[in-house]
Amino acid sequence: MDDRPLKRDIEPNGVVLEGRKITKYFGIIAAVQSVDFFVKREEILGMIGPNGAGKTTLFNVIAGVYKPDQGKVIFKGNVISGLKPHRICRMGIAKTSQIVQPFTQMTVFENVLVASLYGKGLSLSDAAQEAEKILEFVGLADVKTMPSGSITVPDRRRLELARALATDAEVILLDENMAGLNPMEIEGVLRLLREIRHQGKTLIVVEHIMRAVMGISDRIIVLNHGEKIAEGTPSEVANDTKVIEAYLGEKYAPHR
Amino acid sequence: MQEGELLNKKIRRKLSTAVIIAITIALVIAPYTGISGYLIRLLAIIFLWIGKAGCWNIVAGYTGYIDFGAVGYFGIGSYVTALLMTKAHFPFLPSILLSGFISGLIAFPIGLPTLRLKGAYFGIATLAFAEAMKQIILEFDQTVGVHLFEGPHGITLPIGPGNEFFYYIGFLVMIAVTGMTYWVRRSKFGYALRAIREAEHAAELSGVNTLRAKIEAYMISASFLGMIGGIEAYWLTYITPHMVFDVLITIQIVVMALLGGIGTLFGPVIGAAFLTILYEMLHRDFPYTYAIIVGFVIVVVILLMPKGIVGTLKAKIETGFRNG
Repeated sequence: MDDRPLKRDIEPNGVVLEGRKITKYFGIIAAVQSVDFFVKREEILGMIGPNGAGKTTLFNVIAGVYKPDQGKVIFKGNVISGLKPHRICRMGIAKTSQIVQPFTQMTVFENVLVASLYGKGLSLSDAAQEAEKILEFVGLADVKTMPSGSITVPDRRRLELARALATDAEVILLDENMAGLNPMEIEGVLRLLREIRHQGKTLIVVEHIMRAVMGISDRIIVLNHGEKIAEGTPSEVANDTKVIEAYLGEKYAPHR
Repeated sequence: MQEGELLNKKIRRKLSTAVIIAITIALVIAPYTGISGYLIRLLAIIFLWIGKAGCWNIVAGYTGYIDFGAVGYFGIGSYVTALLMTKAHFPFLPSILLSGFISGLIAFPIGLPTLRLKGAYFGIATLAFAEAMKQIILEFDQTVGVHLFEGPHGITLPIGPGNEFFYYIGFLVMIAVTGMTYWVRRSKFGYALRAIREAEHAAELSGVNTLRAKIEAYMISASFLGMIGGIEAYWLTYITPHMVFDVLITIQIVVMALLGGIGTLFGPVIGAAFLTILYEMLHRDFPYTYAIIVGFVIVVVILLMPKGIVGTLKAKIETGFRNG
């Protein structure tokens, strides 16, 4: 078991992560079908689509939770599809989960510590310092000694983000990190995400809250029934007939 | 108030360190104070149960994988020591060290497939492993046509030294297993194990090589169990597959760890001591009904202290400090 990062860092046109013809079946149903995507360094890529469009499945393929049936994921010039999640995490791709999964009986601090210990590969003392810094950054310093099972929903969302940051990932996949938050809290998360991007990170954001994802993304891809049906800037996507038909129709069509 | 809490914690920690050191010294000099041979034997038995329950606790308590095949490694260790001492005429010490080594090695191919299973399926698979080991040792000689394990007839080991010797060996094992647990709790490795226990999927996504961490913990546990198996074989001087692969040993280990408090440092210590002493006292006074009474006591303790003796007391003390 070799956990060393691979050496060949090739990035054509600044593309850091790329998916080629990714297909994933569950039984006979293609949850993701022949999807191509790319994301450039320090870009925020939004991913939208109705429930069951295959967004979470695509994230799980990227993070190594699922192996794609066809196609490949390329990270900094290396094919990573088929690697185990912990290896992909150590290489520099972190994912937050839609359903938060904190280490319930461990403190908030220890949750983040595990990610710096293993995702970033630090020693105990270095990881502790790193975890303190990240908790301060995401605004969880006040609750760091509390068991993570007893903090509020917004704090749990922030903890997911803190764990992803603690792995020192270059690309962070955010799966509905704003679900269940009020507009004020969403604004706070968006500010945080912009700040994270300015620190040199690349983000892919899956989100149902249109205002949030439209506002923050540089580019958006739209999935429907496992296929990519549109791609472009937020305004391009919002005016795409296919997208309106498939997804935004009811909500946005009257305003055209 | 937070400072007061911190101070209380410091005092508590110093106090418990002092108590542990005092008990350790008392136990080291105990055999020289003229205590009865019976008491020395009883303490040695307790030490070895603490060792076994502690081994089980490293896997079950910290990774959350409830192992029902612990006796498999105990039995393997017993047979390795028995064979080395009788067939190869090895001295005792290298024999038990090799027992630990071989048990740990066997844990690798067993753990690799079984540690991918979850919950009850892992329990069933490991139970099957231990039972299979018993059958293999029972039938091997007849099937292959050799004289090695001696099947159900068992192996007689050379007569060893007195109970004092096993008292100190058991004492060392207890210190080693408890020390190992202490190290695991405070190390980077320990965080990986606890993360696996809490949310294995999230641990993997945080960069923890979960399968590897589980296998390492499983192998460490199996090594110590194998060593203890070797020690007990030499002490008993006679082993059969039915004795050293007895599923009741696994069950007793599980009950002791749960009774004391799973996932705590001193849970196996308290649980093993409590249950062994209880057995011993009741066995003397109620030779026909003691098992019923033991069962009753276990049920009552678990009802009153659902997290085990140590686990529940710890939780009580912590909330006590927080509230007042």
